[in-house]
Amino acid sequence: MLYSKVKSFSAVTNFSIVLLTFLFLYTPIVVLFIFSFNSKAFPAPWDSFTLYWYHELFQSTELWLSFKNSLIVATLSTLLSLTMGMLLIFFRTSGGNIHKFLPMFYGTLVIPETVLAVSLLAFFSLFSIPLGLPTIVASHTVLGLGFVIPVVYTRYLELDPKLQEASLILGASPTQTFFRITLPLLRPALLATGLLIFIISFDDFILTYFCSGTAFQTLSIYLFTTIRSGISPIVNALSVFLLALTSLLVMCFFSPKIRTRIF
Amino acid sequence: MEETVITSLPRRKRFSLGSLFTKKDIPFAIGCPALVWHSLFFYLPLLIMILSSVFDLSESGSFQGFTLKHFLAVQNVAHFRIIFKSIGIAFLTAILCFVIAFPCAYFLAFKGGRYKTLLLFFLIVPFWTNFLLHVCAWFFVLERNGFLNNLLLSLNLIGEPIHFLNSFFAIILMMVYHYLLFMILPIYSSLEKFNLFLFEASSDLGATKLQTFKRILLPLTLPAIRLGFLLVYIPAFGEFVIPELMGGDKAYYAGNVVSQYVLGNYTAPLGAAFTLMGACILMVSIGLLLWIFKRISKSLGGLSV
Repeated sequence: MLYSKVKSFSAVTNFSIVLLTFLFLYTPIVVLFIFSFNSKAFPAPWDSFTLYWYHELFQSTELWLSFKNSLIVATLSTLLSLTMGMLLIFFRTSGGNIHKFLPMFYGTLVIPETVLAVSLLAFFSLFSIPLGLPTIVASHTVLGLGFVIPVVYTRYLELDPKLQEASLILGASPTQTFFRITLPLLRPALLATGLLIFIISFDDFILTYFCSGTAFQTLSIYLFTTIRSGISPIVNALSVFLLALTSLLVMCFFSPKIRTRIF
Repeated sequence: MEETVITSLPRRKRFSLGSLFTKKDIPFAIGCPALVWHSLFFYLPLLIMILSSVFDLSESGSFQGFTLKHFLAVQNVAHFRIIFKSIGIAFLTAILCFVIAFPCAYFLAFKGGRYKTLLLFFLIVPFWTNFLLHVCAWFFVLERNGFLNNLLLSLNLIGEPIHFLNSFFAIILMMVYHYLLFMILPIYSSLEKFNLFLFEASSDLGATKLQTFKRILLPLTLPAIRLGFLLVYIPAFGEFVIPELMGGDKAYYAGNVVSQYVLGNYTAPLGAAFTLMGACILMVSIGLLLWIFKRISKSLGGLSV
């Protein structure tokens, strides 16, 4: 009864809009996928099937160097922001009041990334800090903290305090309680946000563009320079590779062990 | 013996976390790295940026006093026009995202059934790949011999290929593609928590579907819509990569001006002044947006949050 009314709430138009949305999202991806097998480069029409570009993709040293750099940046900034976020929660478990500090971390939501990037560049150049890996990690960690702390703290508040109380009453030290009770309970939230920050950092362009200097190149910067100078089908092959990789990560994100509410 | 054990246990008194250990067990120093990091790499840089726009520095970089010359240099009609153009395009992006996102989120939340997770999965995958690859993908669709032109030609809708690239259309399309998920996810998660009995109650009490939508569903999801608007509107304002790659030479938005000033030689203070000016206008426009949402919420009446 109940569901039938909800079902009838809106008509077929709803379904067609969803269908159109998915068409909108996937048409370019499918076209990109097909043209990664085209023997002629952009903007030539379809010629014949080839796997040449995939071969080229795995031969390109510059691309894989920037890929490796992106991985390093994303891993470091994810670990840093998760660790610092956890330490803050650890402090909270001892009764420390962090509630008043929380609005501080919403700043990254209100300030456009471009403004943050400009500010960071001004900051680094004022103190003559050479741009490179450390500066990128520092800037990405700021973005990461803006996600970790609000999300993990909200999940922490939703935990049943009786579990921690029980552990403390039974003689565990605060540290033991944190590592054996609180942390395992927060694991899904930590993994989900960790994954999210990793992706955000890996794909980030604006902060990296301003804070990377000339010597250090991440995948986004590499792609930007490539696209500007004309598209090579290697980029198509790369995106097919990255899409497969992303699907794997999103699958992890959806696995029951990790699944948690982010918004 | 047993008696004493029982009486020594506190019966009524509830333990609270705070009373079990004193604050010195875990010093503040352990909790503060995140706060220090955020102050050092978020608030301090913002402060420096603000200060650098009013500092008068000599050629060698020594401090000579305060000045407003950077602001005077960047405040001209062309710049204001660019800022308002950016506001316009960001707002348009947010509106278009909302128009697409609401039915989509509605369908996912209420009619997804057992395919819900699968649909959500396919929704998220494109957004988690590097967006420069999306730009690249749209080149293939939009260019002269591209997919869209071929499709329209074969359907006899157009006589000759249209130049889709390097146009306002291409920019807006890419913006919506890039920011859509930020609108869908908040609305979806708000609708998913929606109590279905409210539909039942509303129709039992004689409301039409439109009334139910207007007075029950919309007021309850308005906070999520507002969040979605902010998540799309704010970054879209500062966007400079999409206009640069999709819009050709003509497209010039606030983000482009900022990046050009800041990365140029000796023009960084001008960039800071322009950024500050743009950010102030952005804040005012956000205030206006929130005010509009408040008015909508009031005028809808019904349930409010």
